[in-house]
Amino acid sequence: MSPRPLAAERLRRVLALVPWILSHPDEQLDDLAARFNMSRRDLERELSLLQFCGLPPYTADRLIDVDLRGDRVSIRLAEYFERPLRLTPAEGFALLAAGRGLLAMPGSDPTGPLARALEKLAAALGSTRGLAVDVGGAPFLDVLRDAAQEGEQVELDYYSYARDEMTTRRVDPMRVFHAFGAWYVGGYCHRAEGERLFRVDRVRAVRPTGVRFEPPSSPLSPDDLVYHPRSDDLRITLRLDASARWVAEAYPTEDVVEEKGGGQRVTLAISEQAWLDRLLLRVGPAATVLDPPAERDAARRAAARVLARYRPGAGDGAPG
Amino acid sequence: MADRLERLLNLTATLLDTRRPLTLDEVAERVSPPYPEEQASRRRQFERDKETLRGLGIDISVELLDQLGGGEVGYRIHPDRYYLPELGLTDDEREALHVAVTAVRLEGDDAREGLLKLGGIAGERAPALADLPTSPVLGELFDASARRALVRFTYRGERRELEPYGVALRLGHWYVVGHDRDRDASRAFRVDRIESEVEVGASGAFDVPDDFDPARFVRDDPMSYGDDRPVRARVLVAATRAGWVTEQLGDDAVEDRHDDGSVVVALEVVNREAFRNWLLDLLDHAEVLGPPDVRAEVVAWLEALATTGSTP
Repeated sequence: MSPRPLAAERLRRVLALVPWILSHPDEQLDDLAARFNMSRRDLERELSLLQFCGLPPYTADRLIDVDLRGDRVSIRLAEYFERPLRLTPAEGFALLAAGRGLLAMPGSDPTGPLARALEKLAAALGSTRGLAVDVGGAPFLDVLRDAAQEGEQVELDYYSYARDEMTTRRVDPMRVFHAFGAWYVGGYCHRAEGERLFRVDRVRAVRPTGVRFEPPSSPLSPDDLVYHPRSDDLRITLRLDASARWVAEAYPTEDVVEEKGGGQRVTLAISEQAWLDRLLLRVGPAATVLDPPAERDAARRAAARVLARYRPGAGDGAPG
Repeated sequence: MADRLERLLNLTATLLDTRRPLTLDEVAERVSPPYPEEQASRRRQFERDKETLRGLGIDISVELLDQLGGGEVGYRIHPDRYYLPELGLTDDEREALHVAVTAVRLEGDDAREGLLKLGGIAGERAPALADLPTSPVLGELFDASARRALVRFTYRGERRELEPYGVALRLGHWYVVGHDRDRDASRAFRVDRIESEVEVGASGAFDVPDDFDPARFVRDDPMSYGDDRPVRARVLVAATRAGWVTEQLGDDAVEDRHDDGSVVVALEVVNREAFRNWLLDLLDHAEVLGPPDVRAEVVAWLEALATTGSTP
């Protein structure tokens, strides 16, 4: 999408600014500039332009009267701009979604100023029930948020999804946030000797240690969540039937070769074995591992491991 | 640049203030700085201004001027479609909204721009606490639900006609929920999987049931949306993954909690494939207990992989 022309951006701001000044005479210019997120210089430029605007025939009694006294401003003769332009659907949605999102966070006040503001906003938008935000929770969310706030090191029992293993590690929790539909805690992991992100819903236990740490200036953020394949990550090449084309759409691929009949030959970077196991179990017979040879029976091994739950006695070594 | 802004402001004021539609010539006579004399470039510049105003959400209505004949059209802005209704926000409510849009981030500037219309930025900003996904069609879908207007779109290759009751965010995905007219049943659609533009019909086309709650609607998703015969599946989940599953399905789904931390959950399944994918994501930390046919299906799937998946 191309950016809107500058004149449109300025117009949008002026159409929000003028109604406010009309209903709040004699406000300080610096306060106004901060309120409308503009520099003092830009504000003064718009105010001086406004004096030449109004209704035809643009005689003194039809022009907007901008009364600048020292550091304060009032406006008259602009009744047609006495109310702001209504919210666009996108603006109304975004405001209500952000507000409902914060209200859904553990610890929010369900009857406070935010809740009251959202009620008024929803009523103006014509829908009090039509937008719901569920950010979920997790058993250890509160304790981790407290630890991050206090700067207290904790010991975590943590399920590593990618490796499918339980671990215990000491972590300096720095930041707790919600992204991609889940809660994360970012912090320094003493086991990995580096900053790591943990999903709060995979934390099985939190034990306080009483040890304090100094929070760093720029802890990990949601932007660090995206998986960037490393050069030493395993590369795997799969042959996919036409019914499994979604794989190449759902995951970052390094190579896709189309085959006759709608099938594909796809190369993916794999961070951990459990990730590949899940993919193969889901796709089932529609996928075949071509390379590396050591992974050609990965699906068989993964399926046998799950089957063992259903067939006590039949273990990993079940004949293929 | 200053000239263009001045004219856009004057054009907006003039079209808002007029009680009858104005023809292009009338607009050009009135608005300053003037439009070009020459007709084609006058028309071109006016159209450009009109598009700019529409881009900001200003509804310029184009009305046929019957009495004057010749099929000529006039332009105006109806005040009731321009003005934001008075919300009556207090200062602390404005501050709370500012905290919300800084703490809960959605891609794009829409929330911030909306805030300026509601009286600007008040109070302090908050540190980012959450990133929510968004999509360009969510505003339209939500607006359609507020106006009770039918929506049509393509989903998984099929045209759908929906009475949208609302939108809901759940586990990182937005859903539009409502009554599917073709299937005559309640449905939820993942908004990021809508494959076409969203067509929005006329306002007031349906009623929303009194007991509708969008949050409940998507509580059991994704496995409860499908066309398979509904069954109630019981799954044993090991302690390692019990917390995650309980959070995902809700406490109501838990039938039994064992001393070792494992749980038995029950869930309504109308989409066997989605259920199998959900189950296998848990690897060997979960086991379907019943009903027997669902268990047998999972075992058959795994056996097929365990026997034929090996290399010659």
